[in-house]
Amino acid sequence: MNRKFMLGIITLMCVIMLAGCGAKKVENTEGGAAADTSGTNDGGSGNGSSTAANTGSDSGNAAAETTYQFASDASYAPMEFMDKDELKGFDIDFLAAVMKEAGLKYEVRNVGWDAMLESVKQGKEYQAGVSSISITADRAQTYDFSMPYFESKNVIMVKEDSAIASALDLKGKKVALQGGTTADTLMTKIMGKGNTDLKKFDSNAVALLELDKGGADAVVADIAIVRDYIKNNPDKKYKEVLDDVNFNPEYYGLAYPKGSELKAELDPAIKAVIENGTYADLYKKWFDEVPDTTRLLAAK
Amino acid sequence: MDFRFDIVEGYLPLLLRGTLYTVCISLASIALGSLLGLGVGLGKMSRFWFLRWPMHAYINFFRGTPLLVQIFIVHFGLIPLLNGKTNAIAAAVTALALNAAAYTAEIYRAGIQSIDKGQSEAALSIGMTPWQTMRFVVLPQAVKRMIPAFGNEFIVLLKDSSLLTLITVPEIMYWSNAMKNQYIRIWEPYLTAACIYFILTYTLNKLLQALERRVS
Repeated sequence: MNRKFMLGIITLMCVIMLAGCGAKKVENTEGGAAADTSGTNDGGSGNGSSTAANTGSDSGNAAAETTYQFASDASYAPMEFMDKDELKGFDIDFLAAVMKEAGLKYEVRNVGWDAMLESVKQGKEYQAGVSSISITADRAQTYDFSMPYFESKNVIMVKEDSAIASALDLKGKKVALQGGTTADTLMTKIMGKGNTDLKKFDSNAVALLELDKGGADAVVADIAIVRDYIKNNPDKKYKEVLDDVNFNPEYYGLAYPKGSELKAELDPAIKAVIENGTYADLYKKWFDEVPDTTRLLAAK
Repeated sequence: MDFRFDIVEGYLPLLLRGTLYTVCISLASIALGSLLGLGVGLGKMSRFWFLRWPMHAYINFFRGTPLLVQIFIVHFGLIPLLNGKTNAIAAAVTALALNAAAYTAEIYRAGIQSIDKGQSEAALSIGMTPWQTMRFVVLPQAVKRMIPAFGNEFIVLLKDSSLLTLITVPEIMYWSNAMKNQYIRIWEPYLTAACIYFILTYTLNKLLQALERRVS
């Protein structure tokens, strides 16, 4: 009897702890030019953090009354990532600028990739996804995308003594990359859909490890990631190979459910943010470079 | 619920190829794991502490750490150490076999210890060597009792093999993930994969039941 009682107590404690992890209240803060993180750390369940901001304008238009919910998968630094329990990154700052421009209230949450896709597709709980989502024709069958807001630039990373000079040289070689990225889209086109020499890992970190351990001849990834890795690991003797010919530019967009009215609302705001220099400032902050906004605005 | 069969159809050849990988890797792992497990199990029952102690540690390690971690250790640690570079298939079979060995070792031990002591005493008293006793008296009876537990382990291993997608073994889950990433849709890849796994485990169950009936 005593043992049963103890078991009951332990079970109860587990349930209470789990419930504590799941419950989370987010409040909107007034007058936010800067995005504000609210809520407390909830024991690292990883999806409790949200950034809320609003324009604080009492313009009285009906759209400002709704708080739009954005979902993200914060595992792609420096685009979106968790810093302790805070959501940070270029995408997060960019979204803040766009929503300020549009004069809309919003919240963005880290919910994970799979959960984000399904909930954005349904469009009930979350009205949009912001997560470095590459715009492709295959994906546009299921989602509506905003106008392109970021040009993804992929490069090849190989050993310094490698003879690989272009993406076409990678045919017949073993290539490691993160699945679902623009690098994946580009290399699948070049190497073929069912090609097992193209190793699609769960993250860039593991793909880079595969290259280190000799399981691949090259890694294809975003330029920021490759440069960062080469800079931090000079002893490993890697170099980057650019290929603007075979890697046609790929773009990120905000993902909406099919037929969302948000696209018409936000596209002008995105355009304005890109044109008025805010975009360039953010780009400088996160990548220390000047973006080619002309090409971005011309992209379809 | 809009379920797009056309995407599934597009990936079906790859998924079937993946199924072949899943089945072959699971079979190879369970075969190797059972052999290895017999050694580990007998070692654990040995009279000598220097045999018993390492086997004890082995079983505790493989049963007490996540399989995912074991797969990574084998793929990025053990295989490059032996082979000079990574090899996903070799790592897959090695990791699953080592893991299965720990579990089957316990199945062997429980099976052997469930046979009445009098059996081996009788065998030894008519002049059989300990090895003959094991081989002709204890094991044949024990194996019968082990079949359900073995079947269980086989089914668990088959489903666990889906973790191999993380070291890019082109099995069922790998292609299902590729499908997910191409169309960024969730249900089609996951439900399709679940269906294939279900068909595999169901068939396996039926085979095991038939085997049990034949043996008893």
